[in-house]
Amino acid sequence: MKRFALAGNPNCGKTTLFNSLTGSTAHVGNWPGVTVDKREGVYKKGAEPISIVDLPGIYSLSPYTPEEVVSRNYILDEKPDCVINIVDVTNLERNLYLTTQIMEMDVPVVIALNMMDILEKQGDRINAKELEKRLNIPVVEISALKNTGMDELMKVALATCKKERKGVTVLEHTELSHLIGDVRIALQGQEVANPLFHAIKLIENDEIEIAMHPQTVKMVEEFKNTFTNDLFGTDFEALVADARYRHITKNYSPLLTKKAKGIKLTSSDKADRILTNKWLAIPIFLVILFSMFHLTFSENFLFLSGILNKDWVSLAGTHFEGLFGSGEGIAAPGVVLFNLMDIITATLSGWIGEGVANLTSTEWILNLVNDGILAGLCAVLSFVPQIIFLLLLLSILEDTGYMARVAFILDKIFRKFGVSGRAFIPMIMGFGCSVPAMINTRTLADERERILTIRTIPFFTCGAKLPILAAVTGAIAMAFNVANVDLITYALYVIGMATAVITILVMRGTTQRGEIAPFIMELPTYHMPSFKALMIHLWDKTKHYIKKVFTVILASTIIVWFLSNFRWNWTIIEAKETMNESILASIGQFMQPIFTPLGFGSQLGSLGWVFAVAAILGLIAKENVIAGFLTLSSVILAMMAVNPDILVNAGVLSEEVLAELNALIESGEFGEDGYEVVAMIAATGIEIPGLISFIVFNMTTIPCFAAVATARGELKKGTAKWTILFWILTSYIVSMATYCILTWWWTAFIFVALMTLVICIIRLYNKKHPIAKRG
Amino acid sequence: MNPIDVLIIIGCVAIVVGVIVTSIINKKKGKTSCGCDCAHCSGCANKTKTEEQTNK
Repeated sequence: MKRFALAGNPNCGKTTLFNSLTGSTAHVGNWPGVTVDKREGVYKKGAEPISIVDLPGIYSLSPYTPEEVVSRNYILDEKPDCVINIVDVTNLERNLYLTTQIMEMDVPVVIALNMMDILEKQGDRINAKELEKRLNIPVVEISALKNTGMDELMKVALATCKKERKGVTVLEHTELSHLIGDVRIALQGQEVANPLFHAIKLIENDEIEIAMHPQTVKMVEEFKNTFTNDLFGTDFEALVADARYRHITKNYSPLLTKKAKGIKLTSSDKADRILTNKWLAIPIFLVILFSMFHLTFSENFLFLSGILNKDWVSLAGTHFEGLFGSGEGIAAPGVVLFNLMDIITATLSGWIGEGVANLTSTEWILNLVNDGILAGLCAVLSFVPQIIFLLLLLSILEDTGYMARVAFILDKIFRKFGVSGRAFIPMIMGFGCSVPAMINTRTLADERERILTIRTIPFFTCGAKLPILAAVTGAIAMAFNVANVDLITYALYVIGMATAVITILVMRGTTQRGEIAPFIMELPTYHMPSFKALMIHLWDKTKHYIKKVFTVILASTIIVWFLSNFRWNWTIIEAKETMNESILASIGQFMQPIFTPLGFGSQLGSLGWVFAVAAILGLIAKENVIAGFLTLSSVILAMMAVNPDILVNAGVLSEEVLAELNALIESGEFGEDGYEVVAMIAATGIEIPGLISFIVFNMTTIPCFAAVATARGELKKGTAKWTILFWILTSYIVSMATYCILTWWWTAFIFVALMTLVICIIRLYNKKHPIAKRG
Repeated sequence: MNPIDVLIIIGCVAIVVGVIVTSIINKKKGKTSCGCDCAHCSGCANKTKTEEQTNK
């Protein structure tokens, strides 16, 4: 099967074209760096099936970032049958720079002039026939977004790939032509493939070329010694780039005729005047971020409590009671979706439980199904709509092009902490999932910056951690009567980001010292996100999440139930006995002291080990924290329902706590899930500082196994183990600080003093051992 | 123990064993362990990188 590669600048429409040709649903984001590895699909609409490879966007074939290396190496090593070079016709000059380099390879090339619809809308015109004649390469006008020109493009590409092509260069009529010719002949003598391309790259001092052809480097240096240039001296890279652009400006730019005379502000420019304004940019960003969380988590949407009818809002007495809020305020859309899913899962689990009860009367089987499987699954499934809603809001921000602006706005601030604004994009992706966020760090040229970013991505709370955040803050609101849960949630997200900032500062001063890489990024034009693309993206995420729930989470809840209901000698714990004799309890009690400084260890009641176990379960998948938590609390309540005194008689609970729990259950004040979590809080005696510390620990500790595996794959050998140690230490220290400060406010001064001391030591050390600046 | 109890037990064991075995097989094939197979997710690119490293 023939293989065609799609190559072009970032944001020129490669992935849109790829999706159109192959019927794929690859994510198209409106910011540079969405695609960081090649993707393959098959075009089946032509005379024969053709493999299409979507490559990461590159500005040139002199790569500075890992994903640019992917594109270059693919074209050189995999030798596709044809390279379809997508050129954004609205940015012709810059896009043709890459074209002039691709032309130098011995590979058939076709140019796809994309975004013709935007060009026509602007009233501009291009003479594609003349461009084809001057480049001596087929040129096809297309619009990947509007799906026009696809068939023509593939027909031309198929015809072109059958003809052999030798590389040509636009530099042949410049002062460099003799130098290029000499090096090319030398490489041809060594039977090097693509000699013209490699010759020019060697002249440019390309690092990859120098490593590939060490024996030729000396000869090239001798040739270069005979060459002088008044303007660029011995900077051959600048010299070659200048020659290319001069050729493009003279021969190709005149073929594009613009309608508008003079400088006219586009709607994107007008929007940028406000959104990237020196004073307004950051406050606007903070408001947008807060709005995102308010829409997702708030129980008092738009702060309308007090002016709404309580019974109307709560739908008291109906089957949908509580759907739009408890009556203290109207629920935000994210919370309404959560409540709706909660009602659905509660109803379904009730039916399933009844069905199983009709089929069997074996008590432990009924416990396994109701308190093990259904409790754990429903706990996680309830959060699916809320997570997807948050991802929808994030996707809208990404796809409009605003996220790229935020990276630019934050660059100045980020530099003070030790990274460029470019690092913001993978960090913000971390709010969705850490795995693609870590892979996106391939867009960062500086290796140290990559390490810093990969290490701090888990501090940006991913979608999987959202159930922990929402469930525990919700429990705090219920158990301790705290209002404005969304503010607590917002504050916890901010703690995560603050942890990232502080750890970057420390790493930049110690193990990752070095200059901060320059940040240059193209700002894409604003546009409305495609509804279809958004829905496809969300559907993909939903499918992935549901699959995870019914596989990994389901297996984990079964294992948790088993370990909490069986002893080491494989005998089942009957209802009259206690869970503290179980396998899980003994493992939990063994680990419990480790978490004492964090507020959820030995200071809790005999059931306090549940928190330790929940935190460890989160290593498999973060959703397991809440699934395991609710499975265990269901088991405790089931035991109490059979014999309320068993926990008192076993010394697990005091009579006062038991009375409190019974009052909670009898009050009917909470929903079925609600009083389980509240009962767990009452049974363990954990306070608000301990709960918040628990959330902070889970937010900042080692992410799930998938993210750890990704970090290992992305980092150099030997760095991964230090990264894992970094996560453990950071989560422990931050969590401990949170607990201590919330419990004894004056400890804040101690922590601030310690931090100041550490920073002073680092600064003194760095002053005595300055790093060498780049030449 | 009635037949339904046995079925439920077998089902649970099958789920747990199936998930563990599938994870191990996926890891040996170099697939990302998050279980995702979304076309857009760059996590799937890990498979290519792992295969390349294996083939070197």
